[in-house]
Amino acid sequence: MSTEDLLPLGGRFEEPDDAPGEKRLGAMQTIQIPRRRFRDTDVLDFAIVGVGSAGGVLLQRLARAGFRVVGFEAGPFWDTERDWVSDEAGSHKLYWNDLRITGGEHPLALGANNSGKGVGGGSVHWAAFTPRFHPSDFEVYTRDGVGADWPLTYEDIEPYYGLLEREMPVAGPAWFPWGKPHGYPYGPHPLGGVGDTLVKGCTKLGIPVCAGGPVAILSASHGDRPHCIYRGFCIQACKVGAKASTLVTHVPDALKCGAEIRDCCMVSRVSLDRYGLTDGVHYFDAQGREHFQRARTVIVCGYALETPRLLLNSACPGHEQGLANSSGTLGKYLMAQAGNVILGRFEELVRMYKAPPAHALTEEFYETDPKRDFARGFAVQTVAPLPIAFARQMMAAKGLWGWGLRRAMMDYNHWSTLGVLGEILPWEDNRIEIADGHDGRHNAQDRFGLPVAQVTFRLHDNDKRLIEFGKAKVMEIMSAAGALEVAQESRYAHLVGGCRMSLTPETGVCDKFGRTWDVPNLFVMDGSVMPTQGSANPGLTIQALAARTADHLISCPDHVTKRSFDEPPCRKELSPPGTFGRGVPHVA
Amino acid sequence: MSKRDQLVSNPPVAEVSKPRVQPGYYPGFSTMAQERFWDAATRRVVRQRVNGDKPIRFFTPDEERTMRSVVDRIIPQDDRVKARQVDLLAGIDERLFERRLEGYRYADMPPDQDAYRLAAKAFEQMAREEHGLSFHQLGTLDRERLLKSVHDAEPKSAKGIWKLLNIERFWTMLVSDCCGVYYAHPWVWDEIGFGGPAYPRGYMRLEEGEPEPWEVQELRYEWAAPPDTLTDREEAHGTGQEHQTHPGQGGTH
Repeated sequence: MSTEDLLPLGGRFEEPDDAPGEKRLGAMQTIQIPRRRFRDTDVLDFAIVGVGSAGGVLLQRLARAGFRVVGFEAGPFWDTERDWVSDEAGSHKLYWNDLRITGGEHPLALGANNSGKGVGGGSVHWAAFTPRFHPSDFEVYTRDGVGADWPLTYEDIEPYYGLLEREMPVAGPAWFPWGKPHGYPYGPHPLGGVGDTLVKGCTKLGIPVCAGGPVAILSASHGDRPHCIYRGFCIQACKVGAKASTLVTHVPDALKCGAEIRDCCMVSRVSLDRYGLTDGVHYFDAQGREHFQRARTVIVCGYALETPRLLLNSACPGHEQGLANSSGTLGKYLMAQAGNVILGRFEELVRMYKAPPAHALTEEFYETDPKRDFARGFAVQTVAPLPIAFARQMMAAKGLWGWGLRRAMMDYNHWSTLGVLGEILPWEDNRIEIADGHDGRHNAQDRFGLPVAQVTFRLHDNDKRLIEFGKAKVMEIMSAAGALEVAQESRYAHLVGGCRMSLTPETGVCDKFGRTWDVPNLFVMDGSVMPTQGSANPGLTIQALAARTADHLISCPDHVTKRSFDEPPCRKELSPPGTFGRGVPHVA
Repeated sequence: MSKRDQLVSNPPVAEVSKPRVQPGYYPGFSTMAQERFWDAATRRVVRQRVNGDKPIRFFTPDEERTMRSVVDRIIPQDDRVKARQVDLLAGIDERLFERRLEGYRYADMPPDQDAYRLAAKAFEQMAREEHGLSFHQLGTLDRERLLKSVHDAEPKSAKGIWKLLNIERFWTMLVSDCCGVYYAHPWVWDEIGFGGPAYPRGYMRLEEGEPEPWEVQELRYEWAAPPDTLTDREEAHGTGQEHQTHPGQGGTH
């Protein structure tokens, strides 16, 4: 049967016409991509490097406030109908698949695990769990004598949590009991098989548990975005448009407000003028030609590997060890979260491929417990790997291959999976460098001839003890839920740190708004600025920090020359239209 | 005979020596039969996997011969009729030829392409040293024993070649790549009862493992792997933890 014989089912879902400049964002949204708005010789107010979670929010805020702003994105501007598929292997292009070197005693898997490429960045393929950080996360050093304190408090970021939870918006329970209790604006999702497992196991053990969120997936339609259809392909990018990504939540409004996005443009270095201020960025366009874009202020939003890499590759006289690295901390204090997956086989069918993988969690073990032999804690969350990921977990967890692997996989529908999300502390020796061939480092370049990132990672004692405890606890939950067999796979999730914010110029790369200590008009804003990471998925906090930095920039028109530490007013009027004030939570 | 009767009359015990069109516990289930409910882009991608032979462009003919008899034991398909077997090596070859990376390389590993070439050479040399034959000439059990020694990171021969890379990481890449080809195939989704692409229709029955109206009920049967294989036995795999030398690859959360 050829494609032509098939009856189209609902015309709008079929292959879109090739209208030049028109992109589909989810099943309902269509936008016109404007052509170039600015010349390289125009002096932009802001050049934003990387249009992902943070870059998308900054672009929208700054454009809505009337600034001349361009977002540079190394990957493409997606058309979700044409470019995305409901398929695991076919979603390979969503990730940063270019070469990176990973090493150390406990090397991190990169690529699909923790990176994005293309407008929307990692928010295109995140599972979309959106827990807030706890108040304790901002003062880990003060409370526990480990890690670091943030140069800001929970109260500083709290209004932005509330704001972004409406802008995405987030579905979840009316009462979320952990950290500072709050509620969510959209109703919780129905549970799939893995959520049932978590709720059943926790309930049996008397562990409080929360079902149906918090997750940035629509449980009801919202403007031009339809509700979730529970197809389970969240981390393969949401074709439906129900899951929030900055591509569907913030980029359309940014473009409407005059922002420009230059996709398939790779920024190669940040330029400094003779006064030690940045005056723009060098970049390669889709054809590999090099350009220089002038800008008054540069904000680097390339996430935990590409941001330090760009600053290291931007070394220049006066900044020989990398741009904004007078503290020597650039690239250091990289963190991943422990992401061990606990797999349980059940007598009854689970069919975990249905429903979003992210839909139930407990943060009962989040805080430091003096009865345990480690600082900080972990969350337990649902995960739900599709067949390829699950087969690889069976290989890793049970050493399977051959007929043993085939046999285990025939029981795919009988397995349920839960994830540990554990806080790994920031350590100086966990780092990103560039593979420039010096000091024993590898020598590897990308297709533009730029040295690639080289990552070195190892677990320290506190991390190991935390992981052992977390693993055992989740295996206990899995058994309590009735699993006949329990296995586990060690892995890591997320990446933050590398350009941490600090109270003083000696201890970090940037201040509490992401302004680098060394170059006043160079900002960093993404997961790399985090001094610690808690046991919460970082996406919501990254976007909240970005919105706060936008308010800071808007409040200080003379920010190029003047550093201010005043907390800016939270500008709710800059939310994308139709989001603020909609979906009021029961507990705000 | 009605369709339902046919399902129930499925033999309760299956012998792998009698290949089937569709192994697994979901008789009659076909994801491809649902393709008109998928979006066009997904349909195109999945169809490409079902249609047509893929050329071998990366491996040399000698390497191809060796590696075919390697991947044939990593994911055996003796229980599938020839026309319904998935060409694992072609999928791996395509990735290597197109230089498609998973986004990183371990500091103690050569590029993926070099690692596969070295390994093909090592497998062949192991067969020569230990059996005086070419790898592809070996019987099932002999091939599996050699592979098992690589799985355990304790090869008894070709040590000079295996020293050039991290053997545990190579094993993980090899099995991962095979999984990436096999479990991407719609015939295999039918085998394991995975619903497959689900846009724009979505799923309705989320709880209790219930099937959608277009999915089928599970019908389990006992089956035995062929007697001349060791990979259906516990000893082939170890206890798991001791074999996990590096973290999981997929993004799950």
